[in-house]
Amino acid sequence: MGKLGFIKILVIAGEAGRVTRRYPFKPETLVSEDFRGRIEFDETKCIGCGACVNACPPNALELVDKGDGTLLLKYFIGRCIFCWRCIDVCPTGAITGTRDFELATNDVSDLYEVVVHERAECSECGGKYSTIRQKEYVVEAVPITESYIDKCPDCRKNKLLRALERRRGGVYE
Amino acid sequence: MDISPILKNYKKIVESIGKSSFTHVGDTIYIIVEPNKLRELAEILYWKMNCYHRTCVGVDERPLNGHFALYHIFGDDTNGLHIVVKVYIDPEDPVVPSITDIVPAADWCELEAYDLLGIKFSGRKLYRLVLPPTWPHGVYPLRKETPYNYRPSVKIISGEEIGESHDKAVVPVGPYHPALHEPEYFELYVEGERVVDVKYRGFHVHRGIEKLGESRTTYQQVNFLAERICGICGFEHSVCYALAVEKAAKIDVPERAQYIRSIVLEIERIHSHLLWIGVAAHVLGYDTGFMHIWRIRELVMYIAEKLTGSRKTYGINLIGGVRKDINEEKKKEVIEKLEIVEKDLKKLIDTMVSVPELKKRLTGTGILPKSEARKLSVVGPTARGSGLDRDIRRDLPYAAYSEISFKVPVYSEGDNLARFLVRVEEVFESISIVKQLLDQLPRGDIMAESIEIPERKMGVAAVEAPRGEDVHFIITGRGKPYRWKVRAPTYNNIPALKVMLRDQALADAPLTIASIDPCFSCTDRIVVIKDGRRYKLIPNKGGVVLYG
Ligand code: SF4
Ligand code: SF4
Repeated sequence: MGKLGFIKILVIAGEAGRVTRRYPFKPETLVSEDFRGRIEFDETKCIGCGACVNACPPNALELVDKGDGTLLLKYFIGRCIFCWRCIDVCPTGAITGTRDFELATNDVSDLYEVVVHERAECSECGGKYSTIRQKEYVVEAVPITESYIDKCPDCRKNKLLRALERRRGGVYE
Repeated sequence: MDISPILKNYKKIVESIGKSSFTHVGDTIYIIVEPNKLRELAEILYWKMNCYHRTCVGVDERPLNGHFALYHIFGDDTNGLHIVVKVYIDPEDPVVPSITDIVPAADWCELEAYDLLGIKFSGRKLYRLVLPPTWPHGVYPLRKETPYNYRPSVKIISGEEIGESHDKAVVPVGPYHPALHEPEYFELYVEGERVVDVKYRGFHVHRGIEKLGESRTTYQQVNFLAERICGICGFEHSVCYALAVEKAAKIDVPERAQYIRSIVLEIERIHSHLLWIGVAAHVLGYDTGFMHIWRIRELVMYIAEKLTGSRKTYGINLIGGVRKDINEEKKKEVIEKLEIVEKDLKKLIDTMVSVPELKKRLTGTGILPKSEARKLSVVGPTARGSGLDRDIRRDLPYAAYSEISFKVPVYSEGDNLARFLVRVEEVFESISIVKQLLDQLPRGDIMAESIEIPERKMGVAAVEAPRGEDVHFIITGRGKPYRWKVRAPTYNNIPALKVMLRDQALADAPLTIASIDPCFSCTDRIVVIKDGRRYKLIPNKGGVVLYG
């Protein structure tokens, strides 16, 4: 190329034309169909098992025990990194991914999504455990007696220990 | 057991220095020596065996065996070996001999172990490197008893503007980099137009990532955390972490997953180098070039999104494999798009290098001689621009790099032009690598069947990132890493800036600083400094003196 070879940039620029877009004034899709964006919950499918909470890398999902017999699954979009790990692990397919990423808002409550669950009540001690939905899910999925699932994990353990003691002739306090 | 001559040789060396142990697993040699023999061994490894120094890692092993430990990781790239040298350190009086006078490259990692674990190094000057000046003394973040969410109540010292006295004129560059928009601070001492000395103060964005990975997260979550070490070459960190754990736990990763990793790694290299070439043009005042390079880069970002689901922080890597497959349709599209990138880029680069001002400013500036490069164990294009022929992809192949052929460009001039050309050539090599890999992509699963990670296993992995090699070191724990150490490439390259900037025209300094493609977030990793202002520099505590 000669001394003025760099002038070729004009040809390159001419060929490329205008590449900037009139976003956001012209509605158009900015992302491909492979893009991972915000997630969405199907409240009718979620059982409140917390698998997604355990998998979520940045703690965007949280299980909150309100103490009044409800358990909240809280999604805070502000922390979400759009990795979709929660979708990978959810046993009921309650979560779907969207391509939504334009999430700016001046009301922070827009960034929260909450699924409310009713907790199950133990038939023995009356304490709260798990969720009603999860109980139903387990009963359907595995052959298990209702009297077993109706007890909270502590009562189940106590019952087991008591049974063991009895077999050995001891007394369980 | 039959071992190769080179391993025999290492075994002989280790035996010759007396009480020590030698084991060998895969491509890694583990050596344990007495602290008083460490310097002797380091000298042999670094200067006689011509090993590079990758990093050193302090570990609080008191819950395991009652001691602190220090691991120096050397690399014999010619023979494809990692060499891990371990010393046990007294928990009551943690002192170990420093090796920085023998291995200058070990300077920063020793200071880091001093800061974060309270390990003292005899025979050298110790001062704070990564912790902010206001961090309380005697609190060591990486000791196991310090909770990860510990927040000291800090009294901010006044942001008084005061440097150390120096009889030269001082030109501050930073605390925000003029071109790369990252926080770090250079103090250039000048005589007229010439730079005579340089001081660097970084680590403003030490985020405590290693501590997080060792405490709050689980194994698979760390992949995503690791990806966020760097905003430009995060996937390399994620892969490097996964490789280290897979090595430690002996997990067999399906071939197809390894291919996909390599493909995405190369896509990341292409976009990273294009980003840098654009920034370099911008620093030189050639904004037309900058805009056009970034226009071409946009296509690469699109490819990344197509292949992974995200333009950046791809999130497809897990221990044991990857989460997103590549189908035939995508394969075709990627190859088509890459061909456009290749064609456009060739035209543009030809035009760029024929801009006389651009060439002149790059030629002969920011020279890093080979001997200095070797002394500091610099990595990546910075090393290859100074005649050091090293590239982890070829020397210790990981993922699918042993299945394909590629050239490693090396230039011996050591100036800014050499580093520029290395990167330009690497982009074209990477395009060819992606095409080869897509072409040969084997069938099969993309995730290992079972992933079991036993406790207390060690793994070292290195990955050639766009800026040089990332090194991750893992000691496995229950459900999460017991120790996770990250060494980013810029960590080894910044100390070389002192050599590159000295005796140069001041006007070239921004370009030279940019020429190592520094990535400060990676280097700093870990705790936030509250105030963007400079603190009063306390001699040898706040102000970091570069090696030399
Ligand atoms: S059912 Fe799915 S969405 Fe609901 S808590 Fe479990 S994993 Fe999360
Ligand atoms: S997409 Fe990722 S970050 Fe967001 S809620 Fe799901 S697991 Fe958490």
